[in-house]
Amino acid sequence: MSPILEARGLTRRFAGLVAVHDVSFSLSPGEILGFIGPNGAGKTTLISLLSGTLAPTEGEVWFEGRRIDRLAAFRRARLGIGRTFQIMQPFPGLSVLDNVAVGALFGRGRGQSKLALARESARECLEFVGLGKHVDHRAEDLGGPDRKRLELAKALAMQPRVLLCDEVMAGLNLVEIDEVIDIIRKVRDTGISVIVIEHVIKAIRTLSDRIMVLHHGEKIADGAPDSVLTDSRVVEAYLGKKRS
Amino acid sequence: MDLLLQILVNGILQGGLYAIMALGLALVWGVLNIVNLAHGAFIMLGAYISWYSFSWLGLDPFIGLPLTAVLMFGVGYAIQRGILNLVARAPMFNTLLITFGLEVVLTYLAQLVFSADFRTINPSYSGRNIDVLGVTIPVVRLAASGLAILLTLVMWRFLLHTRLGRAIRATAQNLPAARLHGVEPRHLYAVTFGLGLALAGAAGGLYGTVSQINPYIGATLTAKSFAISIIGGLDTPLGVIAGGLVLGLIEALTTLYVGPTFADVASFGVLVLVLIVRPSGLLGRTA
Amino acid sequence: MRPLRIPLILIVLIALALLPLYGSDTIVQFGISTLLLAVLAQGWNIIGGYAGYPSFGNSAFYGLGAYGVGIAMVQWQLPFAVGLALGVILAVVFAICLGIPVLRLKGHYFAIATLALAQVMAAIVSNVELAGQNIGLVLPPLNDDALFYELSLVLLVAATLTVWWLTRSRFGFGLIAIRENEEGAVVMGVDTTRYKVLAFALAGVFSALAGGIHAYWITFLDPESAFDITLNVKMIIMAVFGGPGTILGPIVGSFILSAISEFLSSEVTSIAGLFFGVVIVVAVVLMPRGLADVARRFHRTGWRYFIENIRMHRL
Repeated sequence: MSPILEARGLTRRFAGLVAVHDVSFSLSPGEILGFIGPNGAGKTTLISLLSGTLAPTEGEVWFEGRRIDRLAAFRRARLGIGRTFQIMQPFPGLSVLDNVAVGALFGRGRGQSKLALARESARECLEFVGLGKHVDHRAEDLGGPDRKRLELAKALAMQPRVLLCDEVMAGLNLVEIDEVIDIIRKVRDTGISVIVIEHVIKAIRTLSDRIMVLHHGEKIADGAPDSVLTDSRVVEAYLGKKRS
Repeated sequence: MDLLLQILVNGILQGGLYAIMALGLALVWGVLNIVNLAHGAFIMLGAYISWYSFSWLGLDPFIGLPLTAVLMFGVGYAIQRGILNLVARAPMFNTLLITFGLEVVLTYLAQLVFSADFRTINPSYSGRNIDVLGVTIPVVRLAASGLAILLTLVMWRFLLHTRLGRAIRATAQNLPAARLHGVEPRHLYAVTFGLGLALAGAAGGLYGTVSQINPYIGATLTAKSFAISIIGGLDTPLGVIAGGLVLGLIEALTTLYVGPTFADVASFGVLVLVLIVRPSGLLGRTA
Repeated sequence: MRPLRIPLILIVLIALALLPLYGSDTIVQFGISTLLLAVLAQGWNIIGGYAGYPSFGNSAFYGLGAYGVGIAMVQWQLPFAVGLALGVILAVVFAICLGIPVLRLKGHYFAIATLALAQVMAAIVSNVELAGQNIGLVLPPLNDDALFYELSLVLLVAATLTVWWLTRSRFGFGLIAIRENEEGAVVMGVDTTRYKVLAFALAGVFSALAGGIHAYWITFLDPESAFDITLNVKMIIMAVFGGPGTILGPIVGSFILSAISEFLSSEVTSIAGLFFGVVIVVAVVLMPRGLADVARRFHRTGWRYFIENIRMHRL
């Protein structure tokens, strides 16, 4: 099966700092790919390169057989790439429902043009992530874990083909993490391919079909969860070199 | 050739004055993140204070500058502590509006108290010129510009090398940390704003020696100060010198080669261009 | 909108429309000025209130509208409607050409850039011969205040209906998303550049039409009065005082502030300007989100509303 999303030799430099260096990988349709790596490894930068928030210094991004690294972020959103932000960014003045409705209005294709229908879709997405009760609350009133679900609902309302999740489990307790794992599995079951950046190794291990490891902006491992997590280079990256 | 040299010198002299005009605005903006739309009105106020010191007390405008500065400092401290403080943590737009309101109030009060007549400050030496290489330089203008540059350099030294200067910058950059070090932010903010107005007042006093003053000059002076601050960049107090010189020269050259009515078009055109191409200004660090 | 509101609005609208029949000449003239200011405030509301880009330079559009009418009628002997159309075209071209670069700026940089553009317009136009340069243009007189009044009212209704449409359209939602979180809007598929420019152009269109009507009404324009910078203050204050980002806020704000200003200037002439300044300062401190927000929250929190605003925002 040809990959739905592909990165080829992606590199991103900021004045004097190389955040991402020559990273290549592919995401298969219906796959859940986990990204892990120590802090500052370049994971969020890589996601931004995929979503269009940042432009690559070198390299290419391919989506459904088309090259998209020159496209503006909003166009990539319309093609079907959705993302959540690590630092949550709701629309504070809008209700929870309307926050998600924006995604339905502007998502894949040209989205909904009717506000009422968009709100209907929004309701469904909110139910899907378990925020059905909060539909009419103000987005800024939501607590931390609920805000993460809101981020997910907003991205889902866009009807994406690929969902890029940036640390949706950060700061959640064990029960909440399990709930999010369930949601992401449900998302995959609807046919969406998912990339998940996480620090919670246990969660990533259960959730991902495949794991990729970034360290200092470079890919150091890519494969089945168990083999990657026991790879000596990966252990070294997280824990430092073994003292003999 | 002589004419060009004269125009260039005029532009440079005007640039010096522009630098001190914008310095107060740039200080308050760069350090406190307060965009003061009333800045020009405060320059106008300083000019009137100097005028009255000169007319009633016979105080030479240059010698009396510290008096104007001290008075304006007091005004600035009071305004920051009493009014601007109230919106310090609100969206920036609120500060814009409030300072705009202050501008309107100041202009109308000035009109009521000082009347709309045009005035100048004319010390006994105001007609004298010196001639250098065929270029005529009015003594007053030279003194004003020279003093302006001097004050700007002093400010630069102050902010970067004195304890108070560094405290001000530290508070602006990291309020919680500053608090932990025992800094009282409200007082410090008020001191900084007071400094900004003291500089505006000094600029006004100097301005009054070379141009006519009336209650309505505030708006144009504010606009020019913005142009200078942005063109020069807010990252260093020296930015206003660069901005002032650039603006002074552009206006002088435009007046000579295109026409006097285009001088404003040129300066604001440059402002818009800088905003679009390099918003951090000529001397600014690009973000 | 609560169902009780619509009949109420219709009654007020009809009362306003019939004003020339029962009001004195002075009242009608006051009405025209106020209505046009309300149009400016509503126009500003689109770019400043809904899109979140506070333009300090909509007076540029106002002047372009005025000169569109002036040039068309005086220099080319064309009818008023054509003049209005010309003004609108000028405004839209201006909004697109200058809007695209300037709308890339954020917050107060955008405000300053638009302020600078507005300042420049008067200077530029005073050098253009077709516009009568510094002397200005004198239009053929039309002594029909009632007509201008009704025109202004129709324009205000059109502007308000546009704002109402914003609150329930995809375009409007896009603008609000831009205002609340522009980066978030981009990744959700909003073409922010296009939307911002459209909002800017829309504000420009209404401002230009107001300028055109005003020019024909007073039959005279010159760069100074057509590009009157103080209009920027007035329209922003009125929109903000009434409630930015609401449908009726700017209208309420303009009516109230105009009325008080008019009353004051008939009592003590120079106080009117002073009054505006004081209102701005007090309103920004006590009710930064405008009357609309006060109306909404007051019955729940009472006088504490104002104290809360101060406490939330002071250092």
